[in-house]
Amino acid sequence: MMSLLLSLALASGVDPTAVVGAPALPPPAAEEAEARTDAISKKVRCPVCQGLSVADSPSESARAMKEEVRGLVAKGYDEEQVISYFEASYGEFIRLEPTTEGWNLLVWVLPGAALAAGAGWLAWTLRRPGAAPAAPAALTPVDPELRPYVARVLAEVGEAHD
Amino acid sequence: MNTKVLVAGGLITVPLVVVLAIGFQHDPRQIDSPLVGKPAPGFALTPVDGGATVALTELRGKPVVINFWATWCVPCKQEHPALVQVARLFEDEVSFVGVVYQDEPAKIERWLGQYGSAYPTVVDEGSRAAIAYGVYGVPETFVVDAAGTIVHKYTGPVDPNDLVARLDQMVAR
Repeated sequence: MMSLLLSLALASGVDPTAVVGAPALPPPAAEEAEARTDAISKKVRCPVCQGLSVADSPSESARAMKEEVRGLVAKGYDEEQVISYFEASYGEFIRLEPTTEGWNLLVWVLPGAALAAGAGWLAWTLRRPGAAPAAPAALTPVDPELRPYVARVLAEVGEAHD
Repeated sequence: MNTKVLVAGGLITVPLVVVLAIGFQHDPRQIDSPLVGKPAPGFALTPVDGGATVALTELRGKPVVINFWATWCVPCKQEHPALVQVARLFEDEVSFVGVVYQDEPAKIERWLGQYGSAYPTVVDEGSRAAIAYGVYGVPETFVVDAAGTIVHKYTGPVDPNDLVARLDQMVAR
């Protein structure tokens, strides 16, 4: 029964070797395989979700895809091979992390560039002569004629506060 | 000062408006399948009624229409009568296969009893065939030529007129 299931499973789906070549790594140990499966699953988009990875979605599709990742990792396929395997059938959209090529480079570069430009502009504005707020003018001495009133005001305020 | 504000505002808003204008012109769910023009991924799946395995390789030599669907999918219900009709129309020249995605055999048989069937319906255990075909959701339908190459993909319900036109051309009658 098990071998029948296995042969059925192998018969459905494409032979990964035909898509991404021979496994790049030797088959990993169980612990290593699990860690690698988790890491790769985080980079594969769940096709039925809104911006979730296969690792983060509880949907049946995501679970099935994680199983597929697990199977490929067990055979020794590395991260790029596993993701390319899915890309061959789903297209580039399946990559949760865009590649660093072509127009996609903008996604990686633009935020940093915008931040640097903003910081530069801020530094330039602050250092410009006359741009910094003027130091507060020296306190004007109290007019001697007003002293009694000031004293009364202060006294009243003091009383009100008591 | 006002010109400065205008220029700065323009620098921010114009690219944004351009990006949105381009972005809103296409449906983000409409992703072209990289499989069109490529060999159809092989599968060998068990029919829902438990008959002999249906393997894609056995269907070579004729065009094949592979319809991914599920009983819980509403648009599948809408397209189903049209698919059955087209399948009957091309009974001897084109093979049709329904691949059921994430579903239970009992529900599938009840559904088929209710809505009719004209071609084998197979169950995709573990969604392996769906993954191999890059299925994002159901219904999705692939048209495969006699040599086993995917020539078209319908995302969402099949347009029966378009399907008939395509198949007509493929069987050249």
